[in-house]
Amino acid sequence: MRHTTLQTMSPSTAAGLGWRQPHYAGLLEMRPAIGFLEVHSENFFGQGGAALAVLERGRCEYPISLHGVGLSLGSAAGVDTWHLDQLAKLVERCDPVRVSDHASFARGTLDGTTVHAADLLPLPFTHEALQVLCSNVQRVQDRLKRPLLVENLSAYLQWNVNPEPQLDEPEFLARLAQTSGCGLLIDVNNIYVNALNAQLSGRCSNPLAACKQWLDRIPAAYVGELHLAGHCRVNDEHGQIVIDDHGSRICTEVWDLYRHALTRFGTIPTLIEWDTHLPPLEVLLEEVAYADALAEQTLGVTA
Amino acid sequence: MSALAEQQQALLNALFAWPADTAEAQLHRLAQGVGNRPGRGLQAYQAHGHALAERALHSAFPVLAQLMGQQGFTDLARAFWHSEPPQRGDIAQWGASLARFVHQSPQLHEVPYLGDVARLEWALHQCATAAEGVAELGSLALLMQHDPETLGLQMAPGWCVVGSRWPVVSIWRAHQEDGPPLDQVDALLRQQVSEEAVVWRSGFKPLARQALPGEAVLLQALQTGHSLAAALAMADDLDFSQWLPMAVQTGLVLRVVPWPSSFIGDPT
Repeated sequence: MRHTTLQTMSPSTAAGLGWRQPHYAGLLEMRPAIGFLEVHSENFFGQGGAALAVLERGRCEYPISLHGVGLSLGSAAGVDTWHLDQLAKLVERCDPVRVSDHASFARGTLDGTTVHAADLLPLPFTHEALQVLCSNVQRVQDRLKRPLLVENLSAYLQWNVNPEPQLDEPEFLARLAQTSGCGLLIDVNNIYVNALNAQLSGRCSNPLAACKQWLDRIPAAYVGELHLAGHCRVNDEHGQIVIDDHGSRICTEVWDLYRHALTRFGTIPTLIEWDTHLPPLEVLLEEVAYADALAEQTLGVTA
Repeated sequence: MSALAEQQQALLNALFAWPADTAEAQLHRLAQGVGNRPGRGLQAYQAHGHALAERALHSAFPVLAQLMGQQGFTDLARAFWHSEPPQRGDIAQWGASLARFVHQSPQLHEVPYLGDVARLEWALHQCATAAEGVAELGSLALLMQHDPETLGLQMAPGWCVVGSRWPVVSIWRAHQEDGPPLDQVDALLRQQVSEEAVVWRSGFKPLARQALPGEAVLLQALQTGHSLAAALAMADDLDFSQWLPMAVQTGLVLRVVPWPSSFIGDPT
């Protein structure tokens, strides 16, 4: 089934903000000029209570982008009907401008019981995984009667696929969009984190160039939202790794990649994500303003 | 089993098995971690799971966390994560069976009231997101106009009664602002005073207090479909004329409704 087009989903080019509980009241009081608010869908799955009331107030002031972390779209065990029911109710209640989740899995069966790992676990870039992902995405879109945006991951494991991977990540995502009719949510920081980790593993000599090549292979027509966030480098007794923790300012290299993405994709709603070690709201708004300024410099668009 | 299902099961096994050595070895035949060592990527996922487990349970069970202390609660969260993993993609739904898990935990047998504290906190956690109810004070006039045989009460969102062989409400209140002092609660614990908690939501605030004599009987009778008259007959310890104004004022009772088509709310 085809739904409304991606072009009808993007009413604003100004950057938006991930709206988290410590800033619920402050943002409603300040009412800054930003493009949209992004919230995590699962935080509003209740039937009532304070969180939903706050979301209702936010919705009166800003467009809402619902971003999920729990649909487990790539699960071979399928999408949880309960989860989809809750999401459908929330979509009906707050009429978001965009609905998104990840190209990941978390749901499966252990010892005869369904479990959910509450994480964004990576998929192999195989035709089988693509088929499962397309089928699950299609089921969600049919239920919600709107296109979904599906986000690329920062992945800390790579599946050994024999024979060699039939697809790579950009091709996998492009085929997902082409087949299912979904859009793509491109997280620029996730691409960079993956490239840095590939560098640590000795598989990438120039992370920034690799990321630009990655972006160049994504068809612009499929991209419906961009995400920008901070990451951290961990060096402990287990070894070195780069973690996509959304806990710091966006680094210079990711801003550079954002410029590249703007050039490639044009004016796309862009989200500043900050989920851990949350700073004062003013810091988040500085990042939003910088994203808007870069868009203006790069494309001549005033947010 | 398909190749994809096998890969996904291997990773879930490596995250939830405890000890995980065998599951990790099986996973590393199918995947390699990123970072500068082969096991670094899997360790990142395992660490995230443990941190999330503790954070999610701390949010739903803050008093239990205080009673157990940081290390004890960290150990509990990790044991529960591996023993009874989440089943839903909304982590706030995880924890319904923590009270039973605590009750059955041999390490916690010397603190036998912890499971009941967990039961009370889960009721409060559920209550916080129950569907809204609307108070209608004008409906109280029905009590003057109709036989109680034909009336019922609509209660606040998420209300329920939590019974315990321990002073569970006093323990919980001692960890809230303006709660009783801890030495007073210790005395109740030594005497093994049993308490029943009434849980409900007033506006957006989940609340708990000790049930009045006969109150739990009345509420449970209404919940099981009895008319107000029948419920009152069972709750002969309750002074209804004192209870009703208090229950209305504090938002526990939202309105009087015709019975048998009465709606008493959705107890958790």
